[in-house]
Amino acid sequence: MEDAGTTGGLESMLMDRSLSDPELLAMSGTAPDYAILPKVSVLKIGGQSVIDRGRAAVYPIVEELGEIKRTYPMLIGTGAGTRARHAYGLASELGLPTGVLTDVGAAVAGQNASMLGHLMARYGVPVVGDSAFAAVALYIAEAGAAIFAGMPPYDMWQHVPEEGVIPPYRTDAGCFLVAEVFGARQMIYVKDEDGLYTANPKTDKNATLIPEITVDELIERDLPDLVLERPVLGLMRSARHIKSVQIINGLRPGLISRALRGEHVGTIITAA
Amino acid sequence: MTPEPIFATKDVASVFARQTLLDRDLVRQPARPVVRLLPWLNVITLGGRSIIDRGVETVKPVVDELREAMSEHRMLILTGPGVRARHVLGVGLDLGLPTGVLASLMATEAEQNGHLIAALLAEQGVSYLAHGTVARQLAVHLSASPAAVSNGFPPYGIYEFPPPVGKIPLHRTDAGAFLLADAYGAARTIYVKDVDGVYTADPATAGDEQPELLPRVGAAELLATDIKTLPIDPIVLELMATAKHVKEIQVVNGHTPGNITKALAGEHVGTIIHGGG
Repeated sequence: MEDAGTTGGLESMLMDRSLSDPELLAMSGTAPDYAILPKVSVLKIGGQSVIDRGRAAVYPIVEELGEIKRTYPMLIGTGAGTRARHAYGLASELGLPTGVLTDVGAAVAGQNASMLGHLMARYGVPVVGDSAFAAVALYIAEAGAAIFAGMPPYDMWQHVPEEGVIPPYRTDAGCFLVAEVFGARQMIYVKDEDGLYTANPKTDKNATLIPEITVDELIERDLPDLVLERPVLGLMRSARHIKSVQIINGLRPGLISRALRGEHVGTIITAA
Repeated sequence: MTPEPIFATKDVASVFARQTLLDRDLVRQPARPVVRLLPWLNVITLGGRSIIDRGVETVKPVVDELREAMSEHRMLILTGPGVRARHVLGVGLDLGLPTGVLASLMATEAEQNGHLIAALLAEQGVSYLAHGTVARQLAVHLSASPAAVSNGFPPYGIYEFPPPVGKIPLHRTDAGAFLLADAYGAARTIYVKDVDGVYTADPATAGDEQPELLPRVGAAELLATDIKTLPIDPIVLELMATAKHVKEIQVVNGHTPGNITKALAGEHVGTIIHGGG
């Protein structure tokens, strides 16, 4: 095998060096990248933006997903939404640390996963729990889709933000990391706006849509508000599989299917 | 374009309602001082390669010292994974597995080391606690017994970040212990390693010029130096910048008897790395 030498070098470095050694880190990057579920798309269904709107927003999405999952197998992550915001407000007022807020936020994303799971049961789509990712390949093979709660399981080990105590890595990050670890086909964020705007379109009438932008440009523009959690931009820079994400408006019928087919129907953010 | 009115949302009134949680000014608003949940807690991390892999000659005196200390201190003892994690990392990298999978595999080894240490202290009422128990029932466990043992790795697993360079997981034992200690507002965060502390250069690879021990050094200062290998993972130095409570960590040599006891008593042994300026 032609890279046997490289691997041999890597293995001896792994035994001798610190795991922070720059040469070892660089060498580890020469290892191959095996995509675990390369045909699966990861979709994030927003909490506040979609699920909190109730059946008017959710039923059409459930139908659309039920139709298209056979053609485009998918993992569906859920956001948290308004109850998480309430709990974050309460908990930060009480002086509780980020780790406690993370746990509370995860529970809300879990409720949303549970609700979506009941609605999608008739299509045979299961909800996967924390440790059930081991069986996800089977679920997707059988049902074409599986639902998970989007919050990463960082719990009391969540990063602490520069200001305040709101967990910086929430459901946008959690869903992105699921897509990345499985080497998924694509990552689509289903929200209630047509994509990324120059400002929050809900509060700023002059906000204009940005159809396409790179992570670097986005960081440089340093927008005061953003449709996507900021740490996702950092994760995208380092990602080895997911080099772009698309943000689409789930309130417009048909857009999810078109995005799954690879059409550009919202904002596409690309790394570098 | 604004969505049609039919899509009215069902809000719970709160300070963060209807906002993205990403508008900096809004997120800043209700911040209060963060409570120290367990202000008496000592978080003690035993290195995998530097302590546990060294076998009985190193582990026994360390465990004896911890057993002694239980009469005066309440401790969460966290373990690193050591050489077996290096092996599984090598196999996993060769197979092309992603960082998130590698993190899960390495964490298993840290957990196994935790079981070993807990077993040695079982007679004194010490148990191994899984992540979920540490996150939610640590208080009751440390009320029942002055010490408990857990996995130093954080529960990031498949949700580990892709690192900026290479594929080796960033959130390992040192980061896990730090984040947890800060979330609980621990009194002390002590890393037990096989060197006397942080040196001006790596003593293992330094040439003729004898490196000097730094008794006290700033995290930012240390990050800015080009010391190639530190006894602590550099990510901890970055995390110190935003920590709410843990403003100092102490790196001590576990191969020197009495060091752990001294550090727990607040004595300045080893290197203290501080977060501020």
